[in-house]
Amino acid sequence: MRSIRREIVKLLSLKRTYLGWAVLTLVPLIMVLALDLSTTKPPPGEGPPFFSSIVNNGVFVPLAAIAALSVFLLPLAAAMSGGYSIAGEAEMGTMKTWLVRPVSRGSVLLSKWFVSLVYVLVAMVIVGVVGGLAGWAVFGVHPLVTLSGDTVSIGHGIWLITLTYLLIFLQMVVIVSFALLISAISDSSLAAAVGSLVIMLIMAALTAFSYFDFLKPYLFVSRAQDWMNLFRTPIHWPPIRDAVITYVVYIVVLVTAAWYVFRRKDILS
Amino acid sequence: MTETTTVGACAPRPVVLQTHGLTKEFKGVLAVDHLDLEVCRGDVFGFLGPNGAGKTTTLRMILGLIYPTSGSAQILDHRVPGDRREALKHVGGFVEVPAFYPTMSARGNLRLLASMSDHVDRQRIDEVLDVVGLLERADSKVKGFSHGMKQRLGIAAALLHRPELVILDEPTSGLDPQGMKDVRELIRELGAGGTTVLLSSHLLHEVEQICNRAVIIDRGKVVVQGPVSVLRPKEMGVKILTGDQHKAAAVVAGVVGEKVVTEDEGYLIATTADGEVPEIVRALVGAGLDVQAVLPNIEQGLEDFFLELTTSSDSDSGQGAAKRRGFIDRFRS
Repeated sequence: MRSIRREIVKLLSLKRTYLGWAVLTLVPLIMVLALDLSTTKPPPGEGPPFFSSIVNNGVFVPLAAIAALSVFLLPLAAAMSGGYSIAGEAEMGTMKTWLVRPVSRGSVLLSKWFVSLVYVLVAMVIVGVVGGLAGWAVFGVHPLVTLSGDTVSIGHGIWLITLTYLLIFLQMVVIVSFALLISAISDSSLAAAVGSLVIMLIMAALTAFSYFDFLKPYLFVSRAQDWMNLFRTPIHWPPIRDAVITYVVYIVVLVTAAWYVFRRKDILS
Repeated sequence: MTETTTVGACAPRPVVLQTHGLTKEFKGVLAVDHLDLEVCRGDVFGFLGPNGAGKTTTLRMILGLIYPTSGSAQILDHRVPGDRREALKHVGGFVEVPAFYPTMSARGNLRLLASMSDHVDRQRIDEVLDVVGLLERADSKVKGFSHGMKQRLGIAAALLHRPELVILDEPTSGLDPQGMKDVRELIRELGAGGTTVLLSSHLLHEVEQICNRAVIIDRGKVVVQGPVSVLRPKEMGVKILTGDQHKAAAVVAGVVGEKVVTEDEGYLIATTADGEVPEIVRALVGAGLDVQAVLPNIEQGLEDFFLELTTSSDSDSGQGAAKRRGFIDRFRS
């Protein structure tokens, strides 16, 4: 626990932490502002999922915001935060400062991974809360109409949106874990951040070709839109379950590999 | 033989740090080659060697930052690697330039480190900051610190948890003369206070000034190890100035024999063995000569030996290496 607290102290000492959160917060605000100011409504089916529903119901703002962010900006934040975890210390030369103290390398690695996740989670919570409040203030909140055409209560709608956030968060955990592994190997936070994004983009490219369809169930990016099933009535659970299983397998494998690498690593910087 | 220590040389003092056949290979290059060190409790132990001799690599292995290819280190009863965490409770120190979180204050960084040890309270943080003269800058961000201030903060961090063994990697490098003096004084005080210090340095005179025992390594191998006195060559040059240099030359030759006696800028230069200097002075006085000055001939002394060791470590072959082997042999004979 003390090592997690140390990592949080370090995270909060960096300006970029707040900068990242601020940038992500802007997205729902810009969405609300733009839709409120423009005279023409976006036609259904354009923009991020549920984007066109916002003007009728502010509850959709957090949903449309996270759907838009999860395409690129949120993975970027996850990749940077995970990539910085080990390699950032190596770049500053501070890793050796901590590792000459009696702490286990495993707990250093895990607490850094955990705090990278906290960073992403905090960002998502800020987006959700700010988006929700802004949507409520500008467009009001009403019972939700799901993809199946049914209407659910506001409370149930918020519950579904929370589940969506959790599923997208799990996807971000996979990206953080990729970045953590590369970060443990490479000593370059940039390489780790870019590398994990490139892996994600290559996987996304593979899913575009039907030739690689046999790979599709094993690529975590092909699960990216599975949260939409939450908005069917009744909820269509199997794809969501499969997505969770895929994410968890990725996370366990990647973090174990990162631990194995970091435990045996010669700390030269 | 020189008085190179073998295992058991510490007795009756306990051994604080030992390395057993410590070896590190980087991509086929032997950086450290079967190194056996022994540091006793209360030693201020000089770890000498030219740049690239394997000093920092050795320290990294002792501190558990890198894994030995073979061999191990032992701190008190704890082996590294293996029992690394238990061993590190008794050690403080740094390798290369101490690095800290630039966006945090000196005190903030030490607080992080303090939370990694038991029994380090806020008062202790102020104490060590005071010891290294950084108390007034305690709340400044480290990114504004000069090289010398970072070195001093590194020493503060090393002392924080009152370790039994303090490992300092060239702590005076890059400091101004006053800073060097302060740090050396501090290390001497640590030693006087009973803390064991392992001081890596490429400056022979630094080790001579503050250490009681030392090892010289070159290319990852021990050249000589033991009390600091073994670092002195058996033969040493003296410069002599008297009222009548011509007559003096004959007198000095009478004492040191063949190993006389050249003249340089008015001085006589003689190569002397242990105990011959007082004899020379007595002989000169006995011959009725006015002795103006008897000086150690630095160029022929310790620095010279070490400079040779240092400067020729770049060139693998040819005269440099041969000359260096000559020097090393002189110390082994």
